[in-house]
Amino acid sequence: MRKSHPVRRVVLATAATVSGVVLILSLKPSTDPASAQAGGTVPQQTAAGQESAQGGAEATGGTVTGDAIQTQYGAVQVRLTAANGKITKAEAVQAPKGGQSDQITANAVPKLNQATITAQSAEIDAVSGATYTSDGYKKSLQSAIDKANAAATAPASPAPSQSSEQGADQGSGSAEAAAKTVTGDVAQTQYGPVQVRITVSGGKITKAEAVQQPTGGQSDQISGNAVPKLNQEAVAAGSADIDAVSGATYTSTGYKESLQSALDQAGG
Amino acid sequence: MTTTLAGGRAARRQTMRRIRPRRSPATVLLLAVWAGAVGVLYLWWHNTPSVADDNSKILNAGRITGLLAGYLMALVVLQMARVPALERRVGSDRVARWHAMSGRYTLCLTLAHVVLIMWGYALQAGKGFGDIVQQTIDSINQLPDMGKAAIGTGLLFLIGLMSIGGVRRRIPYDTWYHVHLMTYAAVFLTFWHQLTTGNDFAVEPVAKTVWYALYGSVTALVIWYRIFTPIRLNLRHRMYVEAVIEETPGVVSVLIGGRKLHRMGAEAGQFFRWRFLAPGMRFSSHPYSLSAAPRPGMLRITVKAIGDHSERLRELVPGTKVWAEGPYGALTAQRRSRGKVLLVAGGVGITPMRALFETLPGAAGDITLLYRANSTQDLALWDELAAIADERGARLMYAVNSPDGERPDISADTLRRKLPDIDKHDAFLCGPPGFAQGVYDALRGAGVPARRIHHESFEM
Repeated sequence: MRKSHPVRRVVLATAATVSGVVLILSLKPSTDPASAQAGGTVPQQTAAGQESAQGGAEATGGTVTGDAIQTQYGAVQVRLTAANGKITKAEAVQAPKGGQSDQITANAVPKLNQATITAQSAEIDAVSGATYTSDGYKKSLQSAIDKANAAATAPASPAPSQSSEQGADQGSGSAEAAAKTVTGDVAQTQYGPVQVRITVSGGKITKAEAVQQPTGGQSDQISGNAVPKLNQEAVAAGSADIDAVSGATYTSTGYKESLQSALDQAGG
Repeated sequence: MTTTLAGGRAARRQTMRRIRPRRSPATVLLLAVWAGAVGVLYLWWHNTPSVADDNSKILNAGRITGLLAGYLMALVVLQMARVPALERRVGSDRVARWHAMSGRYTLCLTLAHVVLIMWGYALQAGKGFGDIVQQTIDSINQLPDMGKAAIGTGLLFLIGLMSIGGVRRRIPYDTWYHVHLMTYAAVFLTFWHQLTTGNDFAVEPVAKTVWYALYGSVTALVIWYRIFTPIRLNLRHRMYVEAVIEETPGVVSVLIGGRKLHRMGAEAGQFFRWRFLAPGMRFSSHPYSLSAAPRPGMLRITVKAIGDHSERLRELVPGTKVWAEGPYGALTAQRRSRGKVLLVAGGVGITPMRALFETLPGAAGDITLLYRANSTQDLALWDELAAIADERGARLMYAVNSPDGERPDISADTLRRKLPDIDKHDAFLCGPPGFAQGVYDALRGAGVPARRIHHESFEM
């Protein structure tokens, strides 16, 4: 029956736990992009790290791997393949796995890859139902683009810009005849920013899409419903004079505002 | 003279042949627990490539505390599964103290886990520590199994709150006990979010399997030892109250009849948890020690009326059915490592000592019982003890308050004076906490090493 010292025991247990956790955390390497990934335990990552180093050496082409971004469901890490300053391929070397995540990842990642190639920037839509993965993907993508830019001092590398024009025949001179992609200003709404990108060809809107829209919680559902309708209406009307989608008033208003600014830019 | 001495030696050798001290498996079990904790930390280490910024440091600290809490939670439940190795080898009292201690620690880890993870998520979403409540609500709404986990965690904190010393003393034992039983539901509710949102389990199928195995085996042990074993025991022995005898004012013995009671495996020094199926008593069970060695047709418990339940025992009608769980407790002859034994009893702590006094193997003069009570009237079972002492040639001493209320002096010096070879003894000790602590210190002072002082104490 040794004497018990409750206070001493509490202090000791707390100190031991806190210092143990701090110690084990500090023993983990911090993400120093190239070296940390090479030292990582996942074989995929080691490969990515090596390729990334090669990509850096080639300066204008090759692959770049972004930072691993931790999300609530697991890490997301994006690898880009660029040629002549353009993103030709985007893929996720890490994405949430297990349980429901498998399904969500399988659905979302291909869409995000596609969107990256289309947008040539990290300004891509979140895939509805995969908000956290999309968010992590965009962050990792941005870090990959930053690295590519840093590696290739050449100005031709893809630079993210909200209102830059990135048409297929950009700079060819035949602006009126060729298709042209214009991104409107960001319109802030109560639920988040809305931003519209339109493709104009022969003075007509051939395609409209939202590059940003309210996400998270209920907004995923509302945006998923309203945005395709608004895109449809914009193409049909050829102007910003479109009806608001019922139940998505704020998003509709923001959409119209951004659409108008895109039309102004295309026209001017 | 020489022949008697030789005879004494032969008898002693005979006794010693029957003494095989069994070591408590506590050390081995504690090592296994630590090894498991290291395994859990390795799981995190293996699945985490790097820890970059402050945000991921917070999140990963949350993951580590969460993993450890999940691991310990299973062990906290296991400690109360009434596994014989724990109850009879380590000792019910020690396991109960482990349970209380690890339970408190697990709740602290759980709290740290919740705060750290929600803070980390809030930072990830570009918010600060102040938005932690909103983040918690969002996470409960959006993540799988988090609603269940939130309810379970709330229950766990309620149970923890009710077990804090000051709170627990203020609520009736039965209320506390039944709230405490909800732990099973709470643990079940919190289990699922570990697998669905836990990074380590989502990525590693092996880890998932290990976790299922851990919780599955704990569940199996609980069902087996807390439900099936008592049912089998009671169907087999069909116990009932045979008689209630008043020993001294306020102390009653309950004689319990039944079938083949010597086959229950109970030893002197052990106790059962008793439930008397009489009106007002059937919903609570209480631990009382056997006050005599089990006989084929009869068990006996001796109880001092200090609480509601023990007060009611004297009104028990013969024939009342009895539901018992046990035997539990490690204060038995197995603990003994020497030929000579000193038993020390304080008040109603005499019950297990009385059983041991009767049954501990030993030659004349090997066994000594020191019985402390307030007055000679309070020396319950004294006549029996005197008879046993006569029969076995054992020594029986008592210490009571002097007529003017002065307490008897039980110190290292007095013990040494009464038993000059006290440092060659094993000491068994049972009594109220203050008394037990005093005697323990006196025994240590008289040169009895700690490993040979055996006691049972249900103080937390």
